[in-house]
Amino acid sequence: MLLLQLKGVTKEYRGNPAVKNIDFELERGEIHAILGENGAGKSTLTKIMAGVVEPTAGVMTLDGEPVSFSSPAEAMSHGIAMVFQETSLVPTMSVAQNLYLGEEKFFNRLRGIYIAAQQFLQSLNFPVDPTRDVASLGAAQRQMVEIARSVRANARIIIFDEPTASLTPEEKGHFFSLIKRLVARGVTIIFISHALEEALEISDRITILRDGEHVVTDRASAFDRDKIIRAMVGRTLSHEVYADAGTRKARTRGERVLSIQNLSMGSVVKNTSFSVYAGQVTGLFGLIGSGRSETAKIIAGIFKRKSRNGGEIRFEGRPVRYRVPRQAVKDRIVYVTEDRKIEGFFETMSIMENLQVNFAAAGLNRSQIVNMAELRQLSEHWVKALNVRAINGDARVVELSGGNQQKVVIARSLLQQPRVIIFDEPTKGVDVGAIAEIHQLIDRLASAGLSVVVISSYLPEIISISDRVLVYRQGRVVEEFSPQEATTEKIMYAAVH
Amino acid sequence: MSSLFQVLSRAFGGERGTGVTVPPMDGALRPNQALETAPAMFRQERPDNLAKDGNKLLFSSGPTLNAMEIGANHKAPAAIAQFDSEITAVASDGAGGYAVGLDSGEIVFGGVLESLSRLKSDVPLAPTAMAFGKQGRLYVCSGSQNNRPSRWKRDLVECNQSGSVWEFEPSSGSGICLASGLAFPYGIAVTGEEGTLLVSESWKHRLLLIGTGRPSNGGVPKVVLDDLPGYPARIAAGSNGYWLAIFAPRGQLMEFVLREDEYRKRMMETVKPDFWMAPSLSSGKSFLEPLQLGAIRTMGTLKAWAPTRSYGLLVHLDMHYQPTSSAHSRADGSRHGITSCLQWEDRVLAASKGGNLVVSLSIDEFRED
Repeated sequence: MLLLQLKGVTKEYRGNPAVKNIDFELERGEIHAILGENGAGKSTLTKIMAGVVEPTAGVMTLDGEPVSFSSPAEAMSHGIAMVFQETSLVPTMSVAQNLYLGEEKFFNRLRGIYIAAQQFLQSLNFPVDPTRDVASLGAAQRQMVEIARSVRANARIIIFDEPTASLTPEEKGHFFSLIKRLVARGVTIIFISHALEEALEISDRITILRDGEHVVTDRASAFDRDKIIRAMVGRTLSHEVYADAGTRKARTRGERVLSIQNLSMGSVVKNTSFSVYAGQVTGLFGLIGSGRSETAKIIAGIFKRKSRNGGEIRFEGRPVRYRVPRQAVKDRIVYVTEDRKIEGFFETMSIMENLQVNFAAAGLNRSQIVNMAELRQLSEHWVKALNVRAINGDARVVELSGGNQQKVVIARSLLQQPRVIIFDEPTKGVDVGAIAEIHQLIDRLASAGLSVVVISSYLPEIISISDRVLVYRQGRVVEEFSPQEATTEKIMYAAVH
Repeated sequence: MSSLFQVLSRAFGGERGTGVTVPPMDGALRPNQALETAPAMFRQERPDNLAKDGNKLLFSSGPTLNAMEIGANHKAPAAIAQFDSEITAVASDGAGGYAVGLDSGEIVFGGVLESLSRLKSDVPLAPTAMAFGKQGRLYVCSGSQNNRPSRWKRDLVECNQSGSVWEFEPSSGSGICLASGLAFPYGIAVTGEEGTLLVSESWKHRLLLIGTGRPSNGGVPKVVLDDLPGYPARIAAGSNGYWLAIFAPRGQLMEFVLREDEYRKRMMETVKPDFWMAPSLSSGKSFLEPLQLGAIRTMGTLKAWAPTRSYGLLVHLDMHYQPTSSAHSRADGSRHGITSCLQWEDRVLAASKGGNLVVSLSIDEFRED
């Protein structure tokens, strides 16, 4: 039975269509996955449904009645809520305060809302303490609070944008059971994901978009991984993106560039040791929270190791201790963040301006005066070199798709002419097409003699691109595998036991 | 600025900022079970120095020198000489002659060289490794002036640096010192480069190139490989580089103890050497042994990556003395204390003094990943 229908919906930004003439139908009580590469128009389509943006053309009907939303609040009043990738909760407030935000009474008794929130969360079977600050919650629990807020507002349709991107495997399992419980309560779910297996596992129907256009909608059982990828990118990429385990041959090891010896920081990084060699991709795998990113940030001067007995980092044989990232950048050690939206770029600035910041930070300016012609040339070079799909270097980063934003973040690091480059989750929230391009880039960098470190929580990725796989567990490297030895079972065993 | 900080840091608080660090075993030294799973060539009580004499394998075991025919006339090992003191070094000239270094400091010749006189040096010798060079010259590593080779553990714990490398003319018995003040030289090989020797300096975890001839010819020893994660022992030339035996691993706790003078002094006074906090050729045999930094056994599983006092490690070096690959026996293994190695055609033999056997590995196992 049809709940929501979109007919001939188009949305244009400055004359460029983000979605073109799309027809979409949502049946009551179903889980509907929307898949597509970055820039395919998934977010725009769902934002139209949630009232975040208004369509340029087309009609939307809810329960057979034509509707148009000028704000998310209006969509919410019709029972459509959207849970974004970056949660919209206030981190300094408690869970209960976030649930009742905007509904506070004149004499607002915290005890009252704590009791109400407790009862409400229990009714949803969400194990979250309503008195805890949101900042202290994990990613899965934040999602739960966000979902609870939508359900409390009597949402009939909840749209999730990349809900599992920051969840551990256990948390994902929990999240899927939550979704099923919501469906049992009569809620209809739309979710956007880049993890194709998840879409196949949980959804009833799948819609695939490409370049802003509708490609196919069908029952999930009618798809498999290859069929989805073919529909998403117009060709089969599966083996291009993730080579099979045991088939890859490692590149020859160059000189030892970095030697990490007994590095420690708080209770996160515990006495870890490993080396990084020139001309190779060193893959760091571990569960979320195992200390990989923190180790990388210590190397890059973002975090500081313990001031006493904190271990040693040797760069090209000499001990180094970077107190700020600039010192590391001067030694040509750069870190490409996993959280690009917060740490990776200035979203309201253009590609060129973003590149300029890193250009100056690396001390590559020839004079105190900014040479705009040189910068323009630089940005054009990197836009072309990394195949950033943007109108030109003046395009604001916020207007780019996730994959292209990631390429900008990588370009910012590469223009600093690194000797060691650390990629932290380089393909997180990036579509399949861009994943292939980023993998090829990483491969080229290592073949050119750079020392490349890739941190990834996705096993097929780490196995397919690494010349060595180091496994992290509880703050330290516990095992190393060659590409021939590395299997998902062996790596997971070392990561967990 | 940072170097000034390091100087001040050392002056006022030692190296507490970095703490005790040990280089990782990764890359070419990536742990595996190759040594542990390699076929045992034969079992022998505490086999030590291996040497090749034609188609005969010479090896020492306590005070006994053994020989074993390898090839078509393969035979079980048999004793060919017995000495009053433990044998601490063996070298073969490849033509039926051999030299044996004893724990008492003597160097005795045998086989076709039996008629040669004993060797003279200005200082008492503690032979730990020997190699024959051109024109029958014998190069000898003397581990320490303070301790006999069998008391190597004491020499390490006393932090001595009184080792030396000697060149002897066997026919006259005279010798010259090529380098002194070394921290327990424990392995020696004549290199392909004219007039140079490759020497392992065990307590400093490094390999040196030392010139032969007059000391003035050799100059200052050149460090070619530094910061090894274990204590290097004997070196053998191979078809495509060198083989290096590493007899014990470095550990943070052991490194820490080596910095604590008072603790070490009291440890030496009050604890039996077998139970000192020091590297060992084998471990896990007594509950009196000191505990390690990490739990060796967790939830019933022996952790291969746990830090131990003993370890088995054989490393292949390329022609530039850099590690290319290695074979290991880890914390959960028993083939520890590799003190000597030798390439025999397409195989490499390794003596596990801690595991009481000699193992044989195919050199194909040492191909780079």
